[in-house]
Amino acid sequence: MRSRFTSGIVTVVKVENDSRFHLEGHLKGHLQIVEPTARTLTSIPLNKEVRIGRLDGPKQDCARLLDLGFTPGEPIVVTQHVPLGDPLIVRLRGALLALRKREADWILVE
Amino acid sequence: MSTQTAGDLAVDPKDQVVCLVGMPNSGKTTLMNALTGGNFKTANYAGVTVSVLRGRTRPEFGTPRNVVDLPGVHSSVEPSPEEELAVAVIEGRHSKVQPDAFILVVDATQLERHLKFGGLVGRRGKPTVVALTMVDLLDRTGQSLSVLKLANALGIPVVPVDPRTGAGVKEVLAALDGLKGMLWVGNALAEMPPEPVAGYKYVTELLRRSGAVSRTARPDSLTSRIDRFVLHRYFGFPVFFLVLISLFAAIFWLAQPFMDVIDAGFAAAAAGTKAIAPESVIMQFLGDGVIAGVGAVAVFFPQIMILFFLMTLLEDSGYLARGAALVDRPLSFLGLHGRSFVPMLSGYACAIPAVFAARAIPARRERMLTIWILPLMSCSARLPVYALLLAALLPAAAWQAGLGLAAIYVASLLIASIIAGITARIFMKHGKPSLLAMELPAYRIPRWWPILRMTWARGSSYLQRAGIPILIVSAVLWMVSNFGHVPGRFISPTPMEDSFASTLGQKMEPVLRPMGVDWRVGVGLISAFAAREVFVSSMAIVFHADSSDEQTQQEHLLKEMSSAVFPDTGARIFTPASILGLVVFFFFSLQCFSTVAVVKKEMGSWKLAGLQLLFYTGLGYLLAVLSVQTLRAFGVA
Repeated sequence: MRSRFTSGIVTVVKVENDSRFHLEGHLKGHLQIVEPTARTLTSIPLNKEVRIGRLDGPKQDCARLLDLGFTPGEPIVVTQHVPLGDPLIVRLRGALLALRKREADWILVE
Repeated sequence: MSTQTAGDLAVDPKDQVVCLVGMPNSGKTTLMNALTGGNFKTANYAGVTVSVLRGRTRPEFGTPRNVVDLPGVHSSVEPSPEEELAVAVIEGRHSKVQPDAFILVVDATQLERHLKFGGLVGRRGKPTVVALTMVDLLDRTGQSLSVLKLANALGIPVVPVDPRTGAGVKEVLAALDGLKGMLWVGNALAEMPPEPVAGYKYVTELLRRSGAVSRTARPDSLTSRIDRFVLHRYFGFPVFFLVLISLFAAIFWLAQPFMDVIDAGFAAAAAGTKAIAPESVIMQFLGDGVIAGVGAVAVFFPQIMILFFLMTLLEDSGYLARGAALVDRPLSFLGLHGRSFVPMLSGYACAIPAVFAARAIPARRERMLTIWILPLMSCSARLPVYALLLAALLPAAAWQAGLGLAAIYVASLLIASIIAGITARIFMKHGKPSLLAMELPAYRIPRWWPILRMTWARGSSYLQRAGIPILIVSAVLWMVSNFGHVPGRFISPTPMEDSFASTLGQKMEPVLRPMGVDWRVGVGLISAFAAREVFVSSMAIVFHADSSDEQTQQEHLLKEMSSAVFPDTGARIFTPASILGLVVFFFFSLQCFSTVAVVKKEMGSWKLAGLQLLFYTGLGYLLAVLSVQTLRAFGVA
């Protein structure tokens, strides 16, 4: 997440996975939240083609995802969310795959 | 249909061993069907609970060959036991299966992923032919493919096949013939870098340079249309439940006439065997112990075959993977896997095929947890027992008993879920959850012949693996119920009242009394370990309700049961409280030695099987006693 003070100073705050962070009260009014640069597959609207950036998750699981074809630069589309919202269905290299949100969260997209 | 024994299909060392390799859903097994004419059987290798299909090529295809269909491999990284076996064979690390050549089955609509997997095969340096499947689906994705250009780029013969119609199958083998005697030098697959990113880049580049694929793929329109409906926010679950209900209806209603025939057949065979020499204990044993005992389990075979047939149908059409995706969230919350729904569903017919169905679950931890809760699924062997007990409990109207039965079915799913959730959170919390990343294959109209073949292969494999334990269990239980200890002779044939089972039952009397029943019901409970529904016929024997007429037997038994009393107190045995206690006992208890034997075989140790037997039977007993005593404390007899 990138925050920009009205003064023009740009501060980049990296938010680790799920950890919350708090801002000092007096800063809140000055913050303008801009589009995060690193988005994961879970936050992509349906049927929008994006490219895989990199994988950020448990090492062995990511190695398997990579071997399944989730390689950097590859176009990927989220085609559907199943009724309970998880897993989501993605199209990659001509295949339809069901990915749990947990897994989709490891896939950073550009 | 193949009726050959293992000997006939033994690998002829003179002939080539060809391994079918590819990713799941590539059409590998359908090709196996076409190559062998359905003449294949499953083979198990020691140490792994994975079976492969092996057979011989059809004689009209020329040079005879031994064909082995290896499990499909998604990835060789973090492989499941099935994938590990296939990778070991491909890499030449397997001691039993040493392939001379490979048929690499490649889905034409997913060339990148399937050829990337082909790198593993190419590096092995054995003669290889690519069998290109799903060519007919290229239309749907708006692509066209030049087989010649692809073969040129790969340096490997490429043969388009449609194993469902048999087109191109002969040509695949002819291409293998063509490779005979040739020096198998490098090909494009062998030079693929093993590292995934570089490997994919290599394949993409190879395909681009070859010009084999014209136009980029667009999504398969038919598949996306069906998915929009089948995975729809509101329609998804109604469709899923409709499929499940139809499956249940088919299993129970379609199977009924076949079950009646089998039942009558075994009864006639048992009577015929006994009639040969009415005085002979051996004929009695063969008739009542072996034939009737096996018959008690064999009546479920039609249900199991219908289950296998419908599961294969759902799998081949592409829906099964969608169903697994739909329920993955609630199931993974319980520590299970989306794919656990198939064994759980099968468990409502019989726990034994359900244990085998659990093989589709990739991670061992989730497979174990699924098998752990399978005994709770209300299998159809419980149905005659519940029918008897509910008729005794609610004699007023059939609809009440029907409602009671429906409640039992729903409760079994709920309680299995609770037990799975608790087990996963308390006893299995250290295992890491597996990856879902499950492929949803394109929808296809299923072809009957391959499905029937596959159903038969699964059915006969079930008979092979479950048949022997069932035979042994029913023979032993017959002996326990028909032999006893009489003065002067240690073992002697006796009526059931004096048998070891009844001696054991009487010894168990102090344990049975808290459940509100006496030793006679105990004998029924012990004999039910052969198959739960044997409880009904044992009850008929110990309560002297034998009747030649099938129709009146149940009424006769119900009358005898309602008048049965404890000899010492004169109090009635079958009261609402004690009947409910029995229902609770059958609900939880793992009264099926065949299931125990199959779980032991599947997991390779007695640990899980023994634990299940003790835990569920103990839990069933405790809860039965608790419900009987609670009801009585509140004044319900």
